[in-house]
Amino acid sequence: MGLETEYIDDTKAGQGEKAKEEALYLYCVANGEEKTNLGAIGISGHEVYTIPYNDICAVVHHCLAHPYQSDNQEVVKTWVIEHQGVVDIAWKKWGTVLPSSFDTMIKGESRDNTEQNMKDWLKREHENLRNKLDKVRGRAEYGVQVFWDPNVIVQNLIETNPEIRELNEKIKLKPKGLAYMYRQKLENLIKREMETGADTCFRVFYSRIKKHTGDIRVEKTKKAEQSLQMILNLSCLVHKDKYAGLGEELSQINQMKGFSVRFTGPWPPYSFVGGS
Amino acid sequence: MEPTRNSHATLVDLLDRVLDKGLIIHADLIISLAGVPLIGVNLRTALAGMETMIQYGIMEEWDKCTRTWESEHRKARKDAATLGEEVLLEIPGSYHYSQGIYTAWRTGRIYLTDKRLILYNPSFEEVLFETPLQRIKGLTLEEDKCFTEKARENLCLLLDSGEVARLHAFDTPGLKEAIEQRLLMLGLTWQQIPSLSLQDEKTASFLREGEEVVCQGETWHLAISQSQGIAPSQNWKHGHLYLTNRRLCWWHDFERRLGFEVPLEHVVHSILVTNECKTAHTNNKKKVLDVIYQGGDGKEVASFSGDHLTSWERELNRIVSSEGLETNRHPERTDLQERIGSVPVLQTLSRRESQTCQGGSPIDFALLKDD
Repeated sequence: MGLETEYIDDTKAGQGEKAKEEALYLYCVANGEEKTNLGAIGISGHEVYTIPYNDICAVVHHCLAHPYQSDNQEVVKTWVIEHQGVVDIAWKKWGTVLPSSFDTMIKGESRDNTEQNMKDWLKREHENLRNKLDKVRGRAEYGVQVFWDPNVIVQNLIETNPEIRELNEKIKLKPKGLAYMYRQKLENLIKREMETGADTCFRVFYSRIKKHTGDIRVEKTKKAEQSLQMILNLSCLVHKDKYAGLGEELSQINQMKGFSVRFTGPWPPYSFVGGS
Repeated sequence: MEPTRNSHATLVDLLDRVLDKGLIIHADLIISLAGVPLIGVNLRTALAGMETMIQYGIMEEWDKCTRTWESEHRKARKDAATLGEEVLLEIPGSYHYSQGIYTAWRTGRIYLTDKRLILYNPSFEEVLFETPLQRIKGLTLEEDKCFTEKARENLCLLLDSGEVARLHAFDTPGLKEAIEQRLLMLGLTWQQIPSLSLQDEKTASFLREGEEVVCQGETWHLAISQSQGIAPSQNWKHGHLYLTNRRLCWWHDFERRLGFEVPLEHVVHSILVTNECKTAHTNNKKKVLDVIYQGGDGKEVASFSGDHLTSWERELNRIVSSEGLETNRHPERTDLQERIGSVPVLQTLSRRESQTCQGGSPIDFALLKDD
């Protein structure tokens, strides 16, 4: 892949104080108790193995205490995909996982010491981790993004909103000076109605979607492609194979004129394991 | 609808999750100087250039789309501003807006149509200035120092209401020419060199019927504020001094009103003094122009400071003496000198030809080189 120079080279990483420190990179906490080696499937080919405590285990690789950082987006993308690859394997193997954020590492003075630190952390956090595992057991995360096409929506407003339609008709009859004023008024009215419309759509779609989920997170809306606007961005926690209801609901929204839906997943429940 | 998790199409969704979310270790032993979330942010910056990378921030997002949408519609709106009129010239420009203590050059696009002159700001969808062409009674170019201290040309329009509108365009002479051409085609007449200084926004507010500005210039004035129970205090204030054919007026820039005025017949004399008692508005200028006039309680002194004091003194004394009152005033001078408390440096009165004070443009001392 030509990334040799980009990945963290264990031999040169960590100079100065950190040189002696070692670390465990955490991929996820899995609902399993076995101590096992998953092979060289980790980031940059690191060997991934488990550190069990009680009925749970941490899926980790051993490395020097140095976070993965790069200015090269291709490198970062590759790392993220590798990270996700390990989480997916663990998810498949143990059924329920708490995926960790990228670059989550625990450090120690030696390998043994670091593993002990990880164990201590699992022990200390056991109850919390156990609860989280139970909460997401058998569930997956689905991304739902609803977009609208402002051009279609505006056209629709002009056709259906009596106030806007009336004003639009009036303009045609006004002398040019006044028409300008009226046009400004119309633009303002349309802008206001669009804002109200977006709010309404958000509420309506949110409640329609929420019915089909166990848990739901509202995410920031983002820049959409082409002329579309994202009006709703949700992460939904749903039983792994019971997304049909949600899918049906989304199909209906997707069929509405001017609206489209993006439905992604199943993802490990990244959005539902943060916090405490 | 079936969910998709194709590694290419949903990479962004994956990045969102892996970099920003997920389990976080709350422990002292966690690696990071700045904390894990910051590492995520660092990695984010690496990804910012990605084609598919999604921008963050709900408002940015919404704004961007709204802006795109708006800009589409704005084109139509601009057309509405000039609806049914033929646009003869479109040029970036600005208009000098002044209201109350607020003045500013407001920028936009100047549209000269077959009927009107319009300055429209597309970003705020606002018509900043607009006039039908037949209201233009005169137009001329004036040189002005803009805020960058670079000399530039402004187009002054004298409107039928007596207002003066100042416009600056990317090509001001070109704009003037285009307007004139159009006025000519419409068969309208206009003044080539209108007397704009009479219409100056300041003087317009205090000049009386038949009163004309003879000289004007930036001048500091020692204003005496008196309030009950407090000893009167003196402060140098910034403004403009105007010598008209009737009065001597000082315009207080900050308060935007006359801070001092005296009819010319009450002016006894003006003397340039080097006065240590009164500190001039800056330390390096020790000269003060004292104007002695007949006030309500006898002779009073008004002090001015600034550049071109010699010219001011000369002009004032010329006006006063040309009124034939000079002779009566001389005996009183000694008396006044005592009151002022120092020896004034008397300048020879120069009797200049009267042409400057009658007709023609007023003298702006800012344009003169001081002697």
